[in-house]
Amino acid sequence: MSDTNLPNAPTPLITLLRALAKGVTYSVGLTVLLVLTFLALRVPPMEGLAKIWEGAIGSKDDGYWYPLTETLLKAIPLTLTGLSVVVAWRAGLFSIGAEGQLTIGIVVATSIAKLGAHLPGTLLAIFMLIGAMSSGALWGLLAAWLRIRRNVQEVISTIMLNYIALQILAWAVEGPLQEATHVKPQSDPLPTAALLPRILPMSLTDGIQTRLHLGVVFAVIAVIMVTIYLFRTPGGFALRLIGQNPEAAKLARLNADSIRLKAMALSGALCGLAGAIELMGVTGTLYRDFSPGWGYTAIPVALLGGLHPVGAAFSALFFGGLTSGTSNLARFTKGVSSVLVYVIQGAAVLAVVGARAWKNRKAGTEVD
Amino acid sequence: MPSARDTALPQGTLEAQPNSQAGTPLLKMEGITKRFGENTALSRVDFDIRAGEIHALLGENGAGKSTLMHVLSGLLRPDSGSIILNGSPVRIASPQVARKNGIAMVHQHFALVPAFTVAENLALDTEARFGKRFSLTESSRPALERAHALGWSLDPSARVSSLPVGTQQRIEIVKALATNAKLLIFDEPTAVLSPNEVEELFTVLRRLRDEGSGVILIAHKLAEIMAVADRVTVLRRGARVASAQISNTNPEQLAEWMIGEKPTPVLPEKTVSASTPSELGDELPQDRVRAVFQASRISVLGDRGETAIQDLNLELHAGEIYGVAGVDGNGQAELAEALTGLRPLKSGTLTWRGEPFDPKSRPITGYIPQDRRRVGLAVTMSVEDNLLFDASQQPKYRKGFLLNIRALRKLAANLIEQFDIRTPGVNAPASSLSGGNQQKIVVARALHNRPEWIVAMNPTRGLDIGATRFVHSQLRKAKAEGAIVLLISTDLDEVQTLADRSAILSAGRLTEVALEGASQTDIGLLLGGVKQAGGVE
Repeated sequence: MSDTNLPNAPTPLITLLRALAKGVTYSVGLTVLLVLTFLALRVPPMEGLAKIWEGAIGSKDDGYWYPLTETLLKAIPLTLTGLSVVVAWRAGLFSIGAEGQLTIGIVVATSIAKLGAHLPGTLLAIFMLIGAMSSGALWGLLAAWLRIRRNVQEVISTIMLNYIALQILAWAVEGPLQEATHVKPQSDPLPTAALLPRILPMSLTDGIQTRLHLGVVFAVIAVIMVTIYLFRTPGGFALRLIGQNPEAAKLARLNADSIRLKAMALSGALCGLAGAIELMGVTGTLYRDFSPGWGYTAIPVALLGGLHPVGAAFSALFFGGLTSGTSNLARFTKGVSSVLVYVIQGAAVLAVVGARAWKNRKAGTEVD
Repeated sequence: MPSARDTALPQGTLEAQPNSQAGTPLLKMEGITKRFGENTALSRVDFDIRAGEIHALLGENGAGKSTLMHVLSGLLRPDSGSIILNGSPVRIASPQVARKNGIAMVHQHFALVPAFTVAENLALDTEARFGKRFSLTESSRPALERAHALGWSLDPSARVSSLPVGTQQRIEIVKALATNAKLLIFDEPTAVLSPNEVEELFTVLRRLRDEGSGVILIAHKLAEIMAVADRVTVLRRGARVASAQISNTNPEQLAEWMIGEKPTPVLPEKTVSASTPSELGDELPQDRVRAVFQASRISVLGDRGETAIQDLNLELHAGEIYGVAGVDGNGQAELAEALTGLRPLKSGTLTWRGEPFDPKSRPITGYIPQDRRRVGLAVTMSVEDNLLFDASQQPKYRKGFLLNIRALRKLAANLIEQFDIRTPGVNAPASSLSGGNQQKIVVARALHNRPEWIVAMNPTRGLDIGATRFVHSQLRKAKAEGAIVLLISTDLDEVQTLADRSAILSAGRLTEVALEGASQTDIGLLLGGVKQAGGVE
């Protein structure tokens, strides 16, 4: 292969070892951070760590299946919204709009379920997924269009579009989509046939009922497809080039407008998918405050993953594990609130971003 | 860039007239040397200025004028040399120190905040003092009083971004004057002004001189220097060539000092095609006789809507390098972009082999842009990706809807080898390469596709000798293979060594000049905008 002609081209083994070393460093750093937090909260550190571990991964006594699948389950929406941020930011569009795109997606998916209740389950499920993705894409396109036509910065417009989407959801669950008794701000349960099936039979999981659903497969496919798109297609190359240097892209005669539109559409579609999967795989009903901030957590997820699709997936797993781990800790330990998860998430992102900035500074900018 | 010209002793150093005017200098710079890496920007330069004099600093692009003045205004620190102000040595470590010593600079690109009002900009330099209330009127008053004294009416509440460039310059000037500067440096102040505004500026400069200030004028337009300066110092390639009273010199002499001696032909390859195509007549294929590329009466607008190129005609033949010399800012960038299809024409037509020019398909175009960091590269992307900007979008590097990664990697590896790009690895970010190797990426990308039409703009700026030679040899190779190369360069040597025919671009107009035959004086006069169209015999 061509690589061998070049001096110091890292072999795959070295690349792998480097990634592992990085992982170990981060884990050690995170552990130190947790211990310090526990000391501050007067929780015995070993006990605290054990609770987090049991919640995220499991233990001999209580088994591993349930905690592990819960971690995976929590990682699904984060992976998809994380991918969405990867795509937009790679194109140089600092979109904060994942939350709104996801929200629009679930409202549309629920509307489709209501209108198409008579359809066969699988067909309805497909329609819901497509509806959620296209409405998410449309929400993303709005921001891109504002940027291209009116030079409205997407950072602002996407945040505004988030508010609009959240208000639409709030209105819908007390209006046209409200459940039949018109009491609670939520929809009727979706038709059971349209829900995503659980994929792990109890015979396999030592008789434990897990909630892991087909959505995990969609998430994995999405990671693979976004990776291929970004790094193996002309369009993905153009998208990355526009993001890194729009001037250079102009020289390569690329059409920045159409690339930005495409990027925001894809970014929105991924969020719509994230919402629909959560709706059809976990909750089964639409209600107010549906998303616990997946669209916002997506940004640290993407950053921690180095704005790489595969990195984002792993980072989503990490965030998923933290969430289930800390909620376990909060459940069994006095004086610890599950809000701790946000402290740890924030600290982890700061540590990684800071380490990267430090490394870049050390490497120096230019020999020119 | 070092070349034949460096070895020749600068002419005229000894002819400089010793200055007879009395009075000790206000400021003296002695033996100033400044290096940037391997590049010596200033080499033991002496410079002095008296109170009540306008001293022009003349030189080509890259001669070191701005560097010298940046040393004086505290923006750069010299590697060696001393600065003596009013008889005692000073260390000018920062612009603040310069200001305290009464030195102020009016920058070419104004240091104004466009979104602020005039008064707010004028108050920017006010020192914040604890416990002292800030008053906008108070802080901007000294400058506004200076403006009034000069007969300028500045509206303090006008937003700077809404004012014409000439007025913005006035703000910059009174801002400098308000610091009670005794020494004012003007960095190419006329570049942005209309002829009328230039005249007004000169009146102000003379007045400042008569009030006893020292005025340093960085310039490359000979006529302006002759009109306003009392004394002139000429720099060439970081060294002082001459200093003289204006009354003892003339534009021809200044031009000669600025350009220096003619280079001796060092490159035998050149003689092969040195004769003009028409002389060779029938012995050559048709396209060497008939123009392949034609620009007829093209006009191009600049970014601010000004006419950057006016009624320009160009006829180029296959297998030639056409050199366009000239000082930056005379329409070079706009011309390059227009001739690669990146900037629309205001009027006129471009044809290629008699058919309309369409850079997307015909001819195959290679473009080496001027600013590699800003537009030539995406420095955060890998060396490999940077080599593949164009290839990644070409159908021949596709497998279905996917990129043919294997072929692209092979192409990148080949280019790295062929163009001798020294990189820590294909996946290293382009920012980790030296400037010369970054430029090789740009050149490799522009030339790999066997372009028939190449526009190269300052392709060797900032490169060392080895890299420069390499880029030159690549351009010659492309020419030998039948491509047309348009070389736009501020480096006269480069144009002289590479080009078969050449012209000088000045104020958006192109004047064809045979650099080989022309006297250095004439070239200097053309570059300096003294001579216009009409050409040199």
